[in-house]
Amino acid sequence: MILHPANRRRIMSLVMVAVASLPGLRAATDAEILRGYQDRQQEVLAASVAAIDPADPAKGSHFDVAACLQRDVKREAALARFMRLTSGKQDGNMFWMFPMVTVMMNGGKTLDAAARARIAELWRTYWPSRGDTENHWAMYYSSLYLAAQYAPGAGPEQWFNGRSSAENLAEARGYLEHWMDVTVTHGQGEYDSPNYIEEYVIALSLLAGWAEDVPLRLRAHQLLDYIIYDYAVESLDGYYGGAHSRIYPRQIVSPGQTPSQALAWLLFGFGERVQSGTVQLLALSGYTPPPILERIARDRSHPYVERELKRTRWRMRHAGPDSFVVGDKRTVPVYKYTYVDPDFVLGSSQGGLLQPIQQQTWSLIWKTDLPAKRAANTFFGTQPYSSPLEGTMFFNSDWDTVTDLIARSKADYDTPDKLPGGSRYEQISQQGAALVALYDIPAGSRFPLVTVFFSRDLKQVEEDASGWIFAQGGPAYIAYRPFAAGEWKPNDWTGLLRGGAGGFISTGFSDWGTGHRCYVSSALRNGYVVQVAPRRDFASYDAFKAAVRALPLRFSVAAVPEATFTTLDGHVVRARYGETPAVNGQAVDYPHWPLFDSPFGQSARGSRQLEIRHGADRLLLDFNHNARTESAVSTQP
Amino acid sequence: MIRRALLLLALLGSASVAVAATPASRLYAAVAMTKAQRNSPTPLDSGIYVRDAAGQWTLFGPRILGVLSVARSPSHPEVMLLASADGVVRTADGGRTWRKTTGWEVADVRAFAYDAGNPDQVYAATAWGPLRSTDGGATWTLAQAGLDRLFCQTLVADTTKPGRVLLGLEHGLAVSTDGARSWQRVAFPDVTVLRLVQSAADPRLLLAATQGRGAWLSRDGGATWTATDPGSATANLYTATLAPQDPARMAVGGWGAGVRVSTDGGATWTDRTAGLPVRNVFVVAFDPDVRGRLWASTFEEGTFYSDDLGVTWRDGGLYGAYAYDFVFLPGR
Repeated sequence: MILHPANRRRIMSLVMVAVASLPGLRAATDAEILRGYQDRQQEVLAASVAAIDPADPAKGSHFDVAACLQRDVKREAALARFMRLTSGKQDGNMFWMFPMVTVMMNGGKTLDAAARARIAELWRTYWPSRGDTENHWAMYYSSLYLAAQYAPGAGPEQWFNGRSSAENLAEARGYLEHWMDVTVTHGQGEYDSPNYIEEYVIALSLLAGWAEDVPLRLRAHQLLDYIIYDYAVESLDGYYGGAHSRIYPRQIVSPGQTPSQALAWLLFGFGERVQSGTVQLLALSGYTPPPILERIARDRSHPYVERELKRTRWRMRHAGPDSFVVGDKRTVPVYKYTYVDPDFVLGSSQGGLLQPIQQQTWSLIWKTDLPAKRAANTFFGTQPYSSPLEGTMFFNSDWDTVTDLIARSKADYDTPDKLPGGSRYEQISQQGAALVALYDIPAGSRFPLVTVFFSRDLKQVEEDASGWIFAQGGPAYIAYRPFAAGEWKPNDWTGLLRGGAGGFISTGFSDWGTGHRCYVSSALRNGYVVQVAPRRDFASYDAFKAAVRALPLRFSVAAVPEATFTTLDGHVVRARYGETPAVNGQAVDYPHWPLFDSPFGQSARGSRQLEIRHGADRLLLDFNHNARTESAVSTQP
Repeated sequence: MIRRALLLLALLGSASVAVAATPASRLYAAVAMTKAQRNSPTPLDSGIYVRDAAGQWTLFGPRILGVLSVARSPSHPEVMLLASADGVVRTADGGRTWRKTTGWEVADVRAFAYDAGNPDQVYAATAWGPLRSTDGGATWTLAQAGLDRLFCQTLVADTTKPGRVLLGLEHGLAVSTDGARSWQRVAFPDVTVLRLVQSAADPRLLLAATQGRGAWLSRDGGATWTATDPGSATANLYTATLAPQDPARMAVGGWGAGVRVSTDGGATWTDRTAGLPVRNVFVVAFDPDVRGRLWASTFEEGTFYSDDLGVTWRDGGLYGAYAYDFVFLPGR
């Protein structure tokens, strides 16, 4: 068999990465990591070009068109496809904007007259709304910025919003700089979402790839590094672990089916290539991640703790006494704690309503050999809360209709068997690989339940006479101790998603949604302990179970829920609902929680600097001086 | 013509007979077509719809998400403002062209009010705080001084006192006497004010609709307030209206509360929901051109009008719409 040179290069890079990831073997060099990335990038672009069929203008996306224009191949076919894509009524708002801009940036001034005329006409006549989420605004303004840059002299009459290119450019830049500043100073609002990370990659790779203004382009590049680091440091083989601002029903039970996993292939070489417009856009942008990020994504030689400070989405109402003001918007800090083990990731936030609709307050994922599409390598709990208070806290909607309108698109939001979602009545305290969850649910609450998800991938689930429920998730042993009795129910016990509700959110349910079950308790004062450990630390499953049974645990749900638990590694966690938890007698130091803190990266609150480390490598992202400094000292061969 | 008709009506002493006359104003509705919205966060259509003489509704202005109200300059009728999720959108040529006149800082605009003494001074309520403009809405500044919590969705510019503005907040009411440069709290319950209106017939009279605490009346220009209508005392009332020709006539509407009408200045109230398809009402509005005509818009089940103060209702169109505001604007 004769291999094409590109394939030979790809196989070699895969071999090198695989070798580098084996314990005790040498790490990949910068050059090897970069070559691996470039090979994957080229593979994406080649597939994009192949998707344009000169014989069939019905095939191909905006990104496929852009790839042809960038490579200057199949130009006529690509332009024909573009004209077809842009005929008829346009919709999608900011999701319309960024594919258009991608074509514009890659076609540049060499687009033919018909394409240029179509572009001008659409920006004049179609009013894309800005939306209402952080990712909407990031995509909207990055796209608007580049569209204005594309037509610098266009007057107000040439724009849908009656503002000149100069005005749109200034407005977009104003927002983007504000957003970047808030993100690196106070933490991201729509933080660490396995679904929505791609929207931020879209916005930032557009700017990093094509903004002509050098400071803005560099700043976007820095923030792209920053967000990818944020992901890499809490990931395991590309699976995004820990607490998430937003996640959908499919991705919460099937963590491999996330946009982050698609990015993990391009960025770090995990898994397989899947069709993704975001991956195409990132590849088109020319962005190359610094090698230190892949090293961090791959280095799971030792367990570590990652602490991060985020913030809630802006609260327009019901901001609460713990809110603080950024500019003129109110928000609440989100304290993330993630334990990253070579074999699993357990991470949490403090609980409460931190995000609308789709929050995941805590989760466990474990290393798996299953294909990403098949894996359900996760364990988590939720209090299925829905209320107009949550809706009107974050949305400009009316009290009596907001829940209904949310459920028009997020069909599971107002159902008792939902899995994503934060709750006002949930409080989490984590130390290492153990966490304590407490609940104090008022009588009359809409769904007075506490649900813990048991994946079909778990093995040897055993209800122990001690009250613990034990399970094995791949190489992780799991112990779960409910404070109140529950019952086993199939996930989606209302049949909502099984029946296809919500359109795309339930697509493929029979593949990813079946075979799981939940432990559901209806006690209003409630709680549980979760203790996780790597299989490698115990001689047997029985040894793990015996060790957990012996752990001191006191809890009460008679009045205010409270628990004191000594973890496997000897820490004493004391939690009482409504109070700051304590570890070994010391209250958790939330007031001094850092933006990032782990062996791989540190950022003090307010510093606007993130220092990323791996071995002797350093990457300093300095947003005070718009500087991105990579250390010249490397221990890599 | 209208005045003559009104005079005739007054002479006849009729309180409930509508007069068919050429209207001096047109009805504009801020709506989102949500009823058929499925598996999508976006309504099928949204924006300002205008009703023609034949009773047909057509889209007016740009198709933008989250358009919640519309206003027209009292001195320059070709100048109109849209309150949208994207910000303030303005036309200076009667709707031929439009321009967004706010920057990225402004979102979720809900209502406008023009100052009584200066038609170029206009105020806006947004979910993120009030705004003021001194050039007829061409440019805007934030107007938050004195406010701790900023959410507001309704406001009134006192028609008798230039520079005086009342603002409905998440927690009660605030007043400004310096053209929204600063705000002070008004003695009012700690409740979200969803709608605030001032009587054209008696400007001392104001009516507020609240979330969970029913309707409140002020007879002294907003200085003091008393609860009215015990029948809706715990309702979420989204809308309130005062008849422009008669200060004794008023109506409120809300979720589950339907339409409630008073014809004696708020002393007594009557449920006038019978004949509407649902009790969930988001807009009530008296027609300034047709004495006694009351409009009501339900949640997604259509808009209706009554020429007998709600005793009977007739289909007014807009089935499937979630209406946020009805505005009668002068000019045809």
